[in-house]
Amino acid sequence: MITIQDISKTYGQNTVLKIDSLEIPKGQSFGLVGNNGAGKTTLFSLLLDLIQPTTGYIDSNGIKVHESEAWKPYTSSFIDESFLIGYLTAEEYFYFIGDLRGQNKADVDALLSQFEDFFHGEILNQKKYLRDLSKGNQKKAGIVASFIGNPEIIILDEPFANLDPTTQIRLKGIIKKLSEDNQVTVLVSSHDLMHVTEVSDRIVVLNKGEVVKDIVTSEETLKELEMFFSGSAVVTTEEE
Amino acid sequence: MIKKFISFQWKEFIRSSSFQKGVAIKILLFIAAAYIGVMAVLAGMGLFFGIKKLIPGIDPMIIVNSFIIFWFFADMLLRYFMQQMPVMNIKPLMIIPIKQKTIIHFLLGKTVFSFFNLLPLLVFIPYCITLLIQGYPPFKVLLWLLSIITITLSLNFLNILVNKSNTVFYIIATALISSLAMWYFNIYDITRPAGAMFRALYENPIYILVPIAILAFLYYLNFKYLNSHFYLDGAVSKKVKEVNTSDLSWLNRFGALATFLKNDVRMIWRNKRPRQVLLMSGFFLFYGVIFFTQKTYNDMPGFIAFASIFVTAGFLFSFGQLVPSWDSEHYKMMMSQNIPYRQYLESKWYLMVIAVVISFILSTPYIYFGWDKYAMIAAGASFNIGINTFVTLFGGALNRVPIKLNEKAKAFSNTQGFNPTQLLIALPKMLLPVLLFYIPYYFTDYNLNAGIITLAVSGFVGLAFKNYFLTQIEKVYQKGKYKTVAAFDEK
Repeated sequence: MITIQDISKTYGQNTVLKIDSLEIPKGQSFGLVGNNGAGKTTLFSLLLDLIQPTTGYIDSNGIKVHESEAWKPYTSSFIDESFLIGYLTAEEYFYFIGDLRGQNKADVDALLSQFEDFFHGEILNQKKYLRDLSKGNQKKAGIVASFIGNPEIIILDEPFANLDPTTQIRLKGIIKKLSEDNQVTVLVSSHDLMHVTEVSDRIVVLNKGEVVKDIVTSEETLKELEMFFSGSAVVTTEEE
Repeated sequence: MIKKFISFQWKEFIRSSSFQKGVAIKILLFIAAAYIGVMAVLAGMGLFFGIKKLIPGIDPMIIVNSFIIFWFFADMLLRYFMQQMPVMNIKPLMIIPIKQKTIIHFLLGKTVFSFFNLLPLLVFIPYCITLLIQGYPPFKVLLWLLSIITITLSLNFLNILVNKSNTVFYIIATALISSLAMWYFNIYDITRPAGAMFRALYENPIYILVPIAILAFLYYLNFKYLNSHFYLDGAVSKKVKEVNTSDLSWLNRFGALATFLKNDVRMIWRNKRPRQVLLMSGFFLFYGVIFFTQKTYNDMPGFIAFASIFVTAGFLFSFGQLVPSWDSEHYKMMMSQNIPYRQYLESKWYLMVIAVVISFILSTPYIYFGWDKYAMIAAGASFNIGINTFVTLFGGALNRVPIKLNEKAKAFSNTQGFNPTQLLIALPKMLLPVLLFYIPYYFTDYNLNAGIITLAVSGFVGLAFKNYFLTQIEKVYQKGKYKTVAAFDEK
């Protein structure tokens, strides 16, 4: 369970995020959408204690993330390529993460074998360093690495971007499967409304740093979101 | 068009992050550059008189001509390590209508304006001016200078051609070392044929056509190479190297820290920048030779202590001062993964300790200079392990410069790890051991052992406080965490 309380982040005069209260129960698959600059990555960075909140706090299973490191063992994430170690091969990277999360080689291998489809033969045994892989393949490696060690909370920032259609569909399957047993909380942000509605139980829309919609996904959700974003597009053009 | 390129370059220079630093650093950098410049000029002038004084009766010009070959060898080696290859951001230029040849000429022309081509000018112009004042024939001297410059530029273009190949480097390194050794042991005197060659350049200025032809030829080769590889998957592309995996299971004995140590070993092995640092730190091992061989320093044990610290501290200083920066490319991951900060720091600490121990083992030949010198190095190693590792780690917390791992450091445009706080931290690393040695030495009526023992004991005392020090350092790192994450994020 994640509780976000009075959190805000201000750079100078510019408030980029302001959320009064938001609760994400355990096992929920949570989708975050919003235009560029809406504060999605800022929220995720706050969740991972990579930036300091101006006010408020985020509580993860009773631990305030900016006060203790105890949330790290059950939280994993892939935000961008800086989560990869460029000079390692994919295997070395997976074993490294496995080491950090108390998984031995066999555990990691067992997990990786489930993702053979997803890798599409482009990740393992490549004799290439991660830095030399294409953006899409780097993303695949990073996403799978975030599944190592049975984390309870998985945070993925725009996991669908840069992936080819086949991989996008496979990734949707993977995320759905993760959320099925209601043990793993998955937080996903995306610009692709269709994908995100498909994989999430709940969708929160951020606009200019504030929560403007908080909906439980249903048949109509995609329509509602499309309405909102085309509407807000019209509104902003009118303002200008 | 060329004008446009030059303005792009200028913008790239003044807008680069390394340039947009505080005034203090700029001034310091300027002073450093000016210092080196002045030293070079003085060396150029002093060269003539120095040789005249050392080897009276022979024309200094003959000596210079005989030994200049070593200068060029060294020049070439230095270039291999330090000189960056010309990469202009040509991708965006490839699709707009500029003649490809213009771009390549510019790219090659740009490499001429490098520190490595400037240095010979700084040395040899004053030298030649001294020659002129001494009444040497101006025509000969000027053309000789011109041919030296031509050769320097030839080396510049040769380096661009061969830089990708390690083999060439090993050939040149072997040539330099073996020719020096053979000269020293009177087996074969390379300075004779080389001297004759350069003397010919001086005596018969018409020979200048030879280096000019070589320069033109090398330029042509470079041009041809770039011209035929001017594609995204050609010369412009990054070379994808095949992975070399090696078994690092021997590190498993370090338990939980093995994970990080393995990673660091791979980092050092697989990236250009840390390899460069590793090599540089190897040079520190020879620091003792400079001081121990000079009679003057034998009566100044303070200096001997100073040198002894350096012998084992090469890696500690050069790698350690950039500690969090080595992980700057993936720092966010390091901070959000299941890694206690303490463990991360401790693994870096062990890495430095291992490096000091290895340096100490490698310094065994110093026994040749006497057991007292070796004892001093041992005491220095103890101090390095017990005190300097912690000071260095602490200093690292204040350093928030991102490093591009797989790019060589630029000579002199590199301000990484060069800030006033770093300099302040560097002081105790070098002065404290000298004081720890000198004060007891002084008060025990100049007893060497008193100083050595104090220095050695200080290291053990520091080691006893390891946990305390690491806890304090961890606090500093934790406090600066957000700033560090943000600083490493800007590229």
